[in-house]
Amino acid sequence: MLKSPGKLNLQQQEQRTGWLLLAPALLLLLLVYVYPILRSFWLSFYSQNLGTELKPLFAGLDNYQRMAIDGRFWESLANTSFFTLVSVTLELGLGLGMALVLNQAFRGRGVVRTVALLPWALPTALIATTWTWIFNDQFGVWNDLLQRLGLIQTGVNWLGDPGWAIWTVIAADVWKTTPFIAILLLAGLQSISADFYEAHALDGASPIQSFFQITLPLLLPQIVIAALFRFAQAFGIFDLVQVMTGGGPGGATETVSIYIYATIMRYLDFGYGAALVVVTFAGLGLAVLLGAWSLSQLRRGAS
Amino acid sequence: MANSARSTAPRLGLWLAVGLILLLSLAPILWQLLTSLKTTADITAIPNVYFPRQLTLEHYIDIFQRQPFLRYMLNSAFVAVVSTLLCLLIGTPAAYVLARLKLPGEQIILTGVLIVTLFPYILLFLGLLELVRNFGLANNYLALIVPYTAINLPLTILVMRSFFQQLPHELEDAARVEGYSTAQMLLQILLPLTTPALVTTGILAFIAAWNEFIFALTFITRDSMKTVPVAVAQLSGTAVFEVPYGALAAATVVGTLPLVLLVLLFQRRIVQGLTAGAVKG
Amino acid sequence: MPVFRVRNWLRRILLTGLAAICCGLVLWGQLGRTQPPVHLTMLTSALDAAQGQSLVAVFEAQNPDIKLDVVEGPNASNLIEDLYTSSFLLGDSPYDLVMMDVVWLPKFAAAGWLLDLTDKIPAADLADFMLPDLEGGRYNGKLYRLPVRSDAQLLYYRQDWLEQAGLAPPETFGDLVAVSKDLQQANLAQWGYVWQGRQFEGLAAVFVDILAGFGGYWVNPEQLEVGLDRPEAIQAVEFLRGTIDQGISPAGVSNYQHEDARRLFQQGKTAFMHNWPYAYPLGNAEDSPVKGKFGIRQMVHQPGLSSASCLGGWGIGIAKQTAHPEAALRAVQFYASPQAQRLSILDNGYLPTRRSLYADPEVLAKYPYFAGMSTVVENAVLRPPIAQYAQASDILQRYLSAAITQRMSPAAAMQAAATETRALLERRG
Repeated sequence: MLKSPGKLNLQQQEQRTGWLLLAPALLLLLLVYVYPILRSFWLSFYSQNLGTELKPLFAGLDNYQRMAIDGRFWESLANTSFFTLVSVTLELGLGLGMALVLNQAFRGRGVVRTVALLPWALPTALIATTWTWIFNDQFGVWNDLLQRLGLIQTGVNWLGDPGWAIWTVIAADVWKTTPFIAILLLAGLQSISADFYEAHALDGASPIQSFFQITLPLLLPQIVIAALFRFAQAFGIFDLVQVMTGGGPGGATETVSIYIYATIMRYLDFGYGAALVVVTFAGLGLAVLLGAWSLSQLRRGAS
Repeated sequence: MANSARSTAPRLGLWLAVGLILLLSLAPILWQLLTSLKTTADITAIPNVYFPRQLTLEHYIDIFQRQPFLRYMLNSAFVAVVSTLLCLLIGTPAAYVLARLKLPGEQIILTGVLIVTLFPYILLFLGLLELVRNFGLANNYLALIVPYTAINLPLTILVMRSFFQQLPHELEDAARVEGYSTAQMLLQILLPLTTPALVTTGILAFIAAWNEFIFALTFITRDSMKTVPVAVAQLSGTAVFEVPYGALAAATVVGTLPLVLLVLLFQRRIVQGLTAGAVKG
Repeated sequence: MPVFRVRNWLRRILLTGLAAICCGLVLWGQLGRTQPPVHLTMLTSALDAAQGQSLVAVFEAQNPDIKLDVVEGPNASNLIEDLYTSSFLLGDSPYDLVMMDVVWLPKFAAAGWLLDLTDKIPAADLADFMLPDLEGGRYNGKLYRLPVRSDAQLLYYRQDWLEQAGLAPPETFGDLVAVSKDLQQANLAQWGYVWQGRQFEGLAAVFVDILAGFGGYWVNPEQLEVGLDRPEAIQAVEFLRGTIDQGISPAGVSNYQHEDARRLFQQGKTAFMHNWPYAYPLGNAEDSPVKGKFGIRQMVHQPGLSSASCLGGWGIGIAKQTAHPEAALRAVQFYASPQAQRLSILDNGYLPTRRSLYADPEVLAKYPYFAGMSTVVENAVLRPPIAQYAQASDILQRYLSAAITQRMSPAAAMQAAATETRALLERRG
């Protein structure tokens, strides 16, 4: 067959067009996602801070060694883990409940779904100011409600107390992101055929039994996906904490991202900040891989 | 029968649950709205005054007159709109390619796109900061538009791809027979069909861009260029003798208003987009 | 010939026209340059911006070619530091003048953000500044900031109660504890001594005073030697923790900031208070229950040693990127001038940074206690003037707080703090 060198066959031409159409998106993703991570990785082997006049000097594993004895890093990691674990668990529980309710047939369901979606759509930084106001120690409505109900005698300094502050941030996060989980789970619920339930009910199963024997197993992939998404987002939580407590009081709500931000923007310790980025990335990546693996197992089991 | 089993008691429970959802979802927003309409005396009254004894617009007037709040709103709108359009412009062709054309390494690209949706922004922050410094983009909206476009790309690609996959192949086959090139076919035949999906992803991208905080906080240091979330967050500490609770509440209400409207108008589309992006990906 | 002449004539007109346009443009440019005043921008806390309005008016009246825009920032000073930091770090900073707390200067100077003022200020003028205040504006021997407001921490004591109990003001740490207990037992004072124990910069400042009284040091700026795990430093932490253990200080002191302490002192609930001088005029205000009943002195010390106060205070430097260095210099000199300081002192009660003002009759008439303050400022100690101060201070605060709240023993806490501080300072490439 004769093939003229200047002409490509149809498939090659199509592929070339394909790559051309894909190129801008890929380049942008490489620039904004891949380059910063690689750059941090490279920089984490350098000292670049006020002690080096902000010039990068090769430092080997110094930054990582320093991290091992950096009490503040471990505390922020513990805070982040606690925050992530508690808020994602609460959100999954409440989100599942919300999805079950929104999946029922009742009058005005569309309106309720719209209202339930609202918290998710609003800017986190503004919501953070709202919750800061609600938890205000002097004029906050939360203290007032609890006092009226007789649960507390005097106002609690929710944001200023090292023990309570993390719970205020968790409350705000749960309020804001439960709708997101509910939406994902609702889509999963809607894809479960009603035939399953009818057959199960004919076998004499109670609604609670069918929840545990049908709904939960079939919903599991969605639950894992939602948990994975939320886990990654919660682990990187920044805006909510930054606006509500700034990491305080006394570091009680300092998360890893707040610490990274301070290391870079306040201390100008770029090398060490880079090492913190790398370790966080690695930890997160490991957890996500674990989640993705369990998801693929689930899907394999399902099909 | 199944219906008689659904007697009044579970029905009551359902209504209770619905009421609880409505109350919890709305209460903080409504509290902020009420606060913004109260006089400063009512705001700082102890015990709390729940319903304003006297309605006032002073806090709204305050944020538009003493603070350049309109400016902040326009800044946010500009950045969000431009980055959303860019995102659709770049993401839609990419999604089409990933849905229809058989490219080598396609699966890897798709996995990569999925994985980056899980990256918290703080991990990108240091690298982007260096880029912004080296290209002299401080106080330049490109420093926000480029990252916002990128962070919305994965979702756009996933949503649009799942849309393209639902389109029947026959359309494109017919177009090919007619002699359309891929680009022509995209523009003249597929684009009109995709408008609803574009609106869906556009709304999601707009919401994300309007709400973004960490890049806006860092890459814009000039007050007149700030976006709403940063401007409001920095408002809280800047009054001489007290925190301007009323002004903060008014700013929150105004700053969230565009998003509340979006949700009210496009709830169904947002839900579709979210589920298409997360579940089908 | 006529054609040639006409052409010549035309050419001449053209040339003169061009010249005129050029002249016009140059003139226009000159006009454009001189006509609108130079704009200078400075970021300060909202409180400073409000208090400084009269100063801006005076400056603009004296310098009609300069317009000074003061941007209102948050009142928390670390947030101002962060705003300045990010604007300089990114480039294209909106600010020409930099209003700095004394502890930020090394960082800003080391990062290369400030204009070197060493040769810009006449030596005769520099001689009038208090030495520690001026020293706080230097980094690596170069001057980057002129001090406009001084501050030195003090011990406030209830003169009336001491007289009632027949006791002298304490000299040593032992005295402070003993006198506190006596006054508490005599049911005069509910609490003995209040201070700032919350994990924030104020705690580091309190510790610097106590540490000086025990003869210890935090970081030696020359050799960058860390002294936090030396016996004196551990004793200093034990003293602070002991005040809570012995019931001299309320347990809540571990969460106190300056205003919490001042409220207790002003309500007459405590015999001693560790605080900055701002509390003095407030305590002597008309509606204050302790008006005229208290005195001030330097913090106490160990027997045989002397005490020193932690130096605070603010000054103004010039951003390296500014387009108007000359105008900015005039503004800096104005703010540091005796005239401007006197105005701000008489309005707001801040301590001056100039020797002459401590002897100024007008100032002394309003604030007689300033006479004694000049030696306190003269002997004040700087917090470590190292570029990584913010980091070092955060490390210290964390471990101090851990020790005070009984989560770590003083020795273990200070050892950890010293190790981390050394790791921080040793990374010099």
